[in-house]
Amino acid sequence: MLAWTVRRLLISLLLIWAVATVVFTLIHLVPGDPAELLLSAGGVAPDPAAVAELRERLGLDRPIAEQYASFLGGVVRGDLGRSIVDDHPVAEEILLRLPRTLELIGAGALLAVLIGIPVGTEAALRRGTLFDRATGATAALLLAVPIFVVGTLLVLVFAQWLRWMPAGGYVPLAADPWRHLTLLTMPALAVAKGLVAVVFRMTRTAVLDTLSRDFVRTARAKGLSPSRILVRHVLRNAIIPVLTVLALHMGSLLGGTVLVEFVFNWPGMSTPLLKAVEARDYPMVVGIVLTISILFVALNLVMDLGYAALDPRIRHA
Amino acid sequence: MMATRRSVLAATAGLPLLAAAPARAQRQPGVLRFGLSSFPPSIQPWVNTGTAAATVKLLIYRGLVSFAPDGSLRGELAETWHNETPTSWVFRLRENAVFQNGDRVTSEDIRWNLEQIAAERSTAFYRAQAQGIARIETPDARTIRIVTAEPMVTLPLWFASYHMMMVSPRSPTAAGALPIGAGPFVLRSQERGVSLDLVRFDRYYKPGLPRLRGIRMIAYADENLRVAALQAGDVDLIEYVPWQAMASIEADPRLRLDATDGPFMYLTFNASRPPLSDARVRRAIAHAIRREDIVKAAFFGRGAPLEGLPIPPGSPFHDPELAAGWRYDPARARALLAEAGVPNGFSTTILSTAQYGMHKDTAEVVQQHLAAVGIQAELRLPDWPTRVTLGNRGQFDIAVMGTTTENNDPDGMSNLLDGSLPASFVRSAGLRIPRIEELLAQGRSEFDEARRRAIYAELQRVALAEVPIVGLAWRSQGYAMVPEVRGFRAMPGALNFFSGITLEEASLG
Repeated sequence: MLAWTVRRLLISLLLIWAVATVVFTLIHLVPGDPAELLLSAGGVAPDPAAVAELRERLGLDRPIAEQYASFLGGVVRGDLGRSIVDDHPVAEEILLRLPRTLELIGAGALLAVLIGIPVGTEAALRRGTLFDRATGATAALLLAVPIFVVGTLLVLVFAQWLRWMPAGGYVPLAADPWRHLTLLTMPALAVAKGLVAVVFRMTRTAVLDTLSRDFVRTARAKGLSPSRILVRHVLRNAIIPVLTVLALHMGSLLGGTVLVEFVFNWPGMSTPLLKAVEARDYPMVVGIVLTISILFVALNLVMDLGYAALDPRIRHA
Repeated sequence: MMATRRSVLAATAGLPLLAAAPARAQRQPGVLRFGLSSFPPSIQPWVNTGTAAATVKLLIYRGLVSFAPDGSLRGELAETWHNETPTSWVFRLRENAVFQNGDRVTSEDIRWNLEQIAAERSTAFYRAQAQGIARIETPDARTIRIVTAEPMVTLPLWFASYHMMMVSPRSPTAAGALPIGAGPFVLRSQERGVSLDLVRFDRYYKPGLPRLRGIRMIAYADENLRVAALQAGDVDLIEYVPWQAMASIEADPRLRLDATDGPFMYLTFNASRPPLSDARVRRAIAHAIRREDIVKAAFFGRGAPLEGLPIPPGSPFHDPELAAGWRYDPARARALLAEAGVPNGFSTTILSTAQYGMHKDTAEVVQQHLAAVGIQAELRLPDWPTRVTLGNRGQFDIAVMGTTTENNDPDGMSNLLDGSLPASFVRSAGLRIPRIEELLAQGRSEFDEARRRAIYAELQRVALAEVPIVGLAWRSQGYAMVPEVRGFRAMPGALNFFSGITLEEASLG
C-alpha cells in the first residue's frame, strides 16, 4: 500500500508539473505583449521607450528558458510571483478569490441538494403521475437552457422588474452578512440550475431502485410507517450515488463558474482568470490554472486513495 | 417531531424567498454610488491604465489645470498661466492648494513631479513630452516657469490631462502604496476587483466643494448588468452606457441619460506594399463606405457619420466642407480604383477583433461596402491583445480601430496621423506623409489662433488627398443616472472621459 501511495503521489506531482509547463508555454506562445498591452489601455499609442522600460522591469526581456526556470523555482518555494498588471502577489489574489468561488459552488450544491433530493424522491414515489412527468420535463429544461440565459432572466425579473434583489455584486460576509447572502442568492441559484437537475434525476433513479429492494419490502412487512421507511431505509441507501455524482460535478464547477461570476459580478476566481488572459498577465494566468489543477489532482488523489483503501484489487492492479 | 417529505419540500421551496424583501443596497446620505465599467488595474497618477482608472484619478488627484464642462481650460493647482515667450510658460500656483497630507503645493513639488515623469525609468504617459522640457525654474514657492526646446502652444493641454496629475513628493514609497494627491476625494478603502470607497477631502482648495460626502465606486464589467444595477436602484450613476440600452433609459422617467459624441471609429492601412501604398486606392476605400450603416449596425443609431478627420462639429477648427471630404460615393471609388490600375478591385484583409462588438460590426459593414466596389476583404478577428500586437507589428492590410483624441485640440490627432512616430496599432503602418508632419509641427508652435486655423484646414486638405486614416463614425458615449444626481455632466467630444472631474460639483438632491 505504501509503495502504491508513493507512486500515486509522484504521478500527481508529475501531472501538476506537466500542467504548469503546458500553461506557461501556451500563454507565452499566444501573441500579445503584456507591457505593450498595459500601456495601450484606452486605445492609445504607448511610448516605445516606456514599453521597453516596463518589459525590462517585469523581466520579460529575459530568455524564455530563464523565465521558465525562475517560475518553476518560485512554484517550488510556494511563490507564484506578482501580477504584471498591478504588481499584486498572485498567491494573495488566489487566496482572496478562491473562497468566494468555493462559497458559490457550495451554496449552489446546497440548493441543489435541498431542492433536488426532496423533489426527486417525491417523483420516484409518484412514478408515472403528472408530478413525475412535470418535474422530469423541468429537469430536462434546466439542463437544456444555458446558464447565461437563466442568469440574465433572474436579473431581469428579480432586479429590474420586481426590484426585489440587487442585480449583482459582492459584499464581504463580515461587512454585511444579510447583504452578502442576498447577493449570493441569485448566482447560487444559477449555479444550482444544472446541479438540481442532476441531483433530481439521480435521486429519482436511486430511490426507485432502492424501493424495489427486498429490505424495503421486509420493512413494510414489519409494519414500519411509510415515512420511516423512506427516511431510514430508502434515502439512506439511495443518497450515496447521488452525493458521489454531486461531488464530481462540483469539481468541474471549479473552473466552470465563469459565466455565473460574470453575469452576477461575483468576484471569484474566474473573472481574474479571464482578465489575466486578456491582459496576458502571465503569472496570474499560470497561478490560477495551477491552483485549479492542484485542487483537481488532490481531489482525484484522495478518491484514488480512498478506493484503494476499500478495495485491495485496485492497489494490486 | 418527525419531518414528513411534504414539510421538507415546502421548506425547500420557500428558501429562495427568504432573501426577497429588503435586499437592495441602502443609500447612505450624501454618498454617490457610481457603477464603473471595470475595476481600475492601477490608479497610479502618471500611467495610462484606461478610462475607469481615469475617472478615479480625477477624484483623488489634480493637475495644474483642467477642462471646464464646456471644454475650455480652467485653473486647478495653478490659478493663472501665460506664455512669456514661445518657448516659455509660467504657471502661478494657488495660495490654498494643499495635498491630502496637509502639505502646501509648491513650485518645487511641481518640478519634482515633472522630473519623475521625465526620468529614464519612467513609464509615464507624458514621458516623451516631459523629456522635451529644456528647463524648469521655480523663482518662488508659487511660480514655476517651464522652458521647452521648441515653441509649444499646446503645453497647458498636457497639464490638463489625467495622466499629468501632481502628487506629493513625500508620498509613501512602499510597494502598492498610492501617491498623495490634492483632489477633492480621498481613497479610504478598496475591495480588490469589487469597489472603492472615497470620502470628501475637507481641505480641498475650492470653497464649498466637493458637495458629496463620499463616493462608492462599484465595478460592473458586464454592460448589461451595469444598466440592470442602475434600474434596480443598486447604483445612482453609471458610465459606458451600452448603445442598445440608451433608448430604454431615455424612456424611463426614473432615469436620465447624458451622452455626447466623442470617441470614433476609423480605418488604418499598411501602406508598405501595393495597392494600399497608393493614395488613390486608400481614397477609393474612403469613398466606398456608407457610414450611416456603421452607425446603425454598430451603435444602434447612437452616433454620426465621420467623413473626414475627427475634428468635432463644435470645434473652431471644424470646416463642414472638409469634414465631408470622404462622403459616400461608390462611383468615385470605382473611378479611383481604375485610375490606380486596379479597376476590378483586389483581395485584401481587414484586421479587427471579435472581442468588442462595435469593432467586429464596423469591420463587417466595411467589408460589405468594399465588396460592392470590387475589393474582396477577408475578416481577421482575433482577440484584442492579438489585434494590438499585429497592429503594432504592421502585420495587417486594413485595420478597424476605435479611440478618442487626447483632447479637443486638433494637435490631439498627432498620434493618429504622424507617421514619423514609432509604429503603433493606432495609426497606419509604413505611411509617412511629410507635409502632414510639417503641418502638425507648425500647428504646435503657432500661437496665433487664425493662423492655427489655416494650418489645420490645410492639414485636412492634405489628409483628404493622402488618406493617412479613414474616418468612419462618431460614437455616442453616455452616462446614465437617477434624477437625484445633480451637477454631474458628460464632457463634450474627446473630453468625454474627463467627465469624472465634474463629480466635485455633483450632489444628490
